[in-house]
Amino acid sequence: MHNYIAVIFDGTGKAYRGLHALWQLDAEGDITVHGTTVVHRDDLGQFQVDTKETHPALATAVGVGVGALLGALAGPAGAAIGAAGGAGIGAAAGGAVGLTTDLVRADSRDEARDETAFVLSAGQSAVIADVSEDSTLAIDSRMRELGGTVRRRAWSTLRDDAWFGPYLPSYYLYPYEYIPPKYLW
Amino acid sequence: MSMNKDLGEIRAAAQQLHGAISDAAAKHGGAVRADLEAVGHQAKAVTESVKASIVEQNNATKKHLKEAVTDLEGVQKHVAEALKSSGHAFQGSIRKTLADARASVQKVSEAVAAKRSAESTKTH
Repeated sequence: MHNYIAVIFDGTGKAYRGLHALWQLDAEGDITVHGTTVVHRDDLGQFQVDTKETHPALATAVGVGVGALLGALAGPAGAAIGAAGGAGIGAAAGGAVGLTTDLVRADSRDEARDETAFVLSAGQSAVIADVSEDSTLAIDSRMRELGGTVRRRAWSTLRDDAWFGPYLPSYYLYPYEYIPPKYLW
Repeated sequence: MSMNKDLGEIRAAAQQLHGAISDAAAKHGGAVRADLEAVGHQAKAVTESVKASIVEQNNATKKHLKEAVTDLEGVQKHVAEALKSSGHAFQGSIRKTLADARASVQKVSEAVAAKRSAESTKTH
């Protein structure tokens, strides 16, 4: 199964431990991770994505792409909102981007039972990842141990989303483990 | 770079290539010529490794690796264009280089997943 997952944690440090654990599962061959990023929601409700210091145009592209991906992960009703919010954001210093729109919980009855929308509350962080997994057990059990809650959407349902233009949503995720220096332990 | 690397090593090389391009693109004033020349050589080496590994793989894995070769050839093409251009054209070539590098890592990673899945099915 090829899925997008959002693993929600209470706190940034836990999220980065979750990110590290995902790549460890990949190294052990239990899953294959194609890309990851970590998103935070601050106490004022603003979203931030940690990125490398990069060219402003590239940071903006990542902001737009991750904004659209967050909306899409929030469920079918969230895709348009996420993309619209992503298009309106600018790159901030340090490559952090703010997403001003709110994520909505999808209420479509067509949404598959296992394709669960996710909501990130103020003060929470989420690891967003594109993964291949033969079973959901490895990720679910490891993330539960770390205090994370896993939400999934099938890759196939997001792949053809018009909001992403010529690029797959995954292209906005780091294809390797990237942890900003300030979060290294 | 050896021609016969396993897929894990090829994936690591493709990941390093993406990292090198994104770091070069982050430099103030843009990537410098020496960075781009190094990226071009790196892309060529990864392309050759992917090509050499295709013959040993199952059909699903081969399909992803062939797509990765196309993306890696795109990286080489856009690096060459960047080396000959300046201004907006240069920036456009850098963006295309990074996009193709990201796409190539994705395809190699999907090849790794396909191979792992096939091996997992065999053992069950």
